[in-house]
Amino acid sequence: MKLRLTAALSAVALCTTLAAPVAPVDAAGDTIVFGSPVSLTGSLTKEGHLTQEGYEVWKDYVNSHGGIKVGAKSYKVDIKYYDDESKNDTSAQLAERLIDQDHVNFLLGPYGSGTSFTVAGIAERKKIPMVEGNGAAERIFNQGFKYTFGVLSPAKRYLEGILDMAHSQKPAAQTVAITAASDAFSQEVAQGAAAWANAHGMKVVYNNKYPDTATDVSSLVSALKATNPDVILNAGHLQDALLVQKALRDQNVTAKAYGYSVGPDTPDFASTLGKDANDVFGGAQWSESVKYNGQPGFYRTAGEYARVIDQRYHHHADYHNAESTAACLAFQYALQRAGSLDPEKVRDALAKLDVTTFYGILKFDSRGLNVYKPMVVNQIQDSKLVTVWPKFTANAKPVYPTPPWGQRK
Amino acid sequence: MHLLVQDLVNGILAGGILAVVAVGFSLVWGIMNIINLAHGAFIMLGAYTTYQLTKSFGLDPFLTLPISFVVLFVLGYLIQRLLINRVARAPILITFLFTFGLSLLLVNIALLIWTGDTRGVTTWYSGSNFTILDVTVPWIKLYTLAAALLITALLQVWLTRSRTGRAIQATSMDIGAAQLTGVRVREIYAIVFGLGAGLAGIAGTLISMSYAMTPNMGDPFLIKGFVVCVLGGLGSVQGALIGGIAYGIIEAFATQFNGTIFGQQISGSGLQDAIALIVLLVILIVRPTGIAGRATA
Repeated sequence: MKLRLTAALSAVALCTTLAAPVAPVDAAGDTIVFGSPVSLTGSLTKEGHLTQEGYEVWKDYVNSHGGIKVGAKSYKVDIKYYDDESKNDTSAQLAERLIDQDHVNFLLGPYGSGTSFTVAGIAERKKIPMVEGNGAAERIFNQGFKYTFGVLSPAKRYLEGILDMAHSQKPAAQTVAITAASDAFSQEVAQGAAAWANAHGMKVVYNNKYPDTATDVSSLVSALKATNPDVILNAGHLQDALLVQKALRDQNVTAKAYGYSVGPDTPDFASTLGKDANDVFGGAQWSESVKYNGQPGFYRTAGEYARVIDQRYHHHADYHNAESTAACLAFQYALQRAGSLDPEKVRDALAKLDVTTFYGILKFDSRGLNVYKPMVVNQIQDSKLVTVWPKFTANAKPVYPTPPWGQRK
Repeated sequence: MHLLVQDLVNGILAGGILAVVAVGFSLVWGIMNIINLAHGAFIMLGAYTTYQLTKSFGLDPFLTLPISFVVLFVLGYLIQRLLINRVARAPILITFLFTFGLSLLLVNIALLIWTGDTRGVTTWYSGSNFTILDVTVPWIKLYTLAAALLITALLQVWLTRSRTGRAIQATSMDIGAAQLTGVRVREIYAIVFGLGAGLAGIAGTLISMSYAMTPNMGDPFLIKGFVVCVLGGLGSVQGALIGGIAYGIIEAFATQFNGTIFGQQISGSGLQDAIALIVLLVILIVRPTGIAGRATA
């Protein structure tokens, strides 16, 4: 219905006009220009802005530290953004415009799996390397694309950590209920969680999806409640996490652990839900407490990085920030190794990349997917986000089993 | 069995909100023949009005209902008076484009004021609930339903009893005849559009308590409002109420449908939108004027 209305209105024409360039950039000379269609408006606005912050922090670091040395010459960097309005097709059109009209050297990914998927197709056709830090659906990497690299741990692994944690506590969680939004990313997250549970002797007692435009999930939650699960998982985005958590509270559904693929990491989750956000687990690509020691060329630890984000943007460093910065870092180290701006050579250097950064390992399998980095599990304890799993990187013990509603702090 | 009853309750609770979402949209469409694509944006503004008032002055969200109504009524009235009146008699595509543009404008203004951060309204009674016969009912949703019923009832009484209300009805029945009897159509149109916006504002306030808000939050509600108002019957208050509750119940029951068709695992929950639209299609075939709609000449 929506699509038809939009088409009837020639919305595409309107959107393109609205997404007009902000300022022209110098695409030649001593500057390497990156292009990124990113969700500055639309349903993924919040995440889109976090992505942009991650890119900007990197750009400023590089430019204030003498640029990137490629071969014998040092280059400044610039990033050209267009607003894709969180729409997959618009994102692809803008990527094409960045390459054809703005002549950017390389692409940095948009926010989200849907947009990354369409943009990856353009990168492939134009043979321009793209590194993306915000599209975790494996579908992007199963197309045989050669020019797209993703720094994220794949979608399937998002909720594994929470199950692993709950399964190894006392009393061990035995049953799990999964709800998932219908988009590609959420579906893969849910499949991964169900597969992990089955492989480790846990029983999936409920597994269902709902449209990603849902405005009410009470009935889904009623059905889930009837199965009385130990662990309740939701594969979705921030809006889903809020909707599901509110519905669980409304219907007084109790479980040993509540886990979300996206949500608890974003400060909005706790600020919207208040005390009802406490003790919730979230799978995360990164947290401020991960203990990696990065190579020189950028802030080397998660702590340093978090301080910079806090100073500049006045909020806690979110994993969306970190993974976006990591995408830039992949380019930085690959460019240094390639010693050339030639797209082919940079692509080959990306394929061979193996570096450790504040964000973790950047290394890609033959599909361009970073399968080498583990996810972490965060929990909101007393309104603060702490990392509780895996143990080697944790800065707090998990609160488990979760206390009843109304007694969480 | 108890799950079915719970679904019925969930559906009615969700449907109450949808009824308020649809009623304003339906009035504007039925009376002025304008499909107002900015209705979702008006809902969003209502929600943010509540958010701002609860945050700045600590007001209870239910107390902000009249304020949201007045703020949005004035906005809608002015938009109609100053802008839409110029295109009201134009082909439907023009008003379509106009309201679509308006929606983009409002969403982007909201984005500038409140940013894209997700926000919510939380009260001390958020999440509290009671259980009867194994069926759990959250208080806040019950209050919301009560507010929705009260508002639609008041609206219906006003439309049928008051002078202005009757003038509105007359305009919708026969614009020429209404003008002949001294109804100022421009004024009536401005009031109707203001009313539509005000009702959207009320819907936004009610939604803010159960749904997280961003500047784009209106989109899914606009689409649901569209379906509900066709389902119930255009331009009628009872129609919106019946349509909204019917839609809520259909969605709730669809969630529990799980089956295998041609070897394919079908999740009714994943297809709840599709199921609701199929029901709409059937209604349109059987009763083209909607459940409570009357045939027009």
